[in-house]
Amino acid sequence: MKFPWFKRNGIFFIPVSIIGWIILLAGFVFAIYSFLDIDGRSHSVSDTLMNFVFILLIIGAVYSLIAYLTSR
Amino acid sequence: MEKQNFEKKLTEMEKPEIYPLKHEDMLANAIINAKDKSVVSWWWLSIPLFIIAMLLMKSVYMPGTTLISNIHELASREKYMSLIYFLISPIVLIVVNAFSIRKIYYLTGSPKSMNFLETVWLNILIIALSVLILLIYSL
Repeated sequence: MKFPWFKRNGIFFIPVSIIGWIILLAGFVFAIYSFLDIDGRSHSVSDTLMNFVFILLIIGAVYSLIAYLTSR
Repeated sequence: MEKQNFEKKLTEMEKPEIYPLKHEDMLANAIINAKDKSVVSWWWLSIPLFIIAMLLMKSVYMPGTTLISNIHELASREKYMSLIYFLISPIVLIVVNAFSIRKIYYLTGSPKSMNFLETVWLNILIIALSVLILLIYSL
């Protein structure tokens, strides 16, 4: 497979290929879906935010791991 | 005559070329690799740190509970999740960052200066935080 898909810039990995952009887009779509799902079940704004930040951190961790492995 | 020949030889002589040292490239790659690894480590470390911060807030606002009791409650409720975030991921991060520090230490020629600490301070911080998470979880 042809690498690299990502390039590190600070604490973020920026996509440099189409596959990288697809992975980033998938992460965004999943984050939006999670937000809507959590928001529909939560009772307050803080409840939504706490659960959403947790999901966002997991998405960020998985994304950064994939990006790290495919950035060289 | 002999002097002229010597001068001619001197003008014809090429400048000595300095080839880039192989270990210099290896060191540069090891430092870049260590920085990339620390970014990934920060993302994975942020999850247990976020949970600890939330449980700390819960212990402040809910009387009669402590951080440790809240972590024990979470561990009994979410057995596998707590095992991954509070035990497996800190151990993996400690091992990965320790290997990075060791590699940089040997490639820099085992230095005894502060320059080495300046290069690897982030890895040391990640190891310290991972140990802290392990300690909190094991209490």
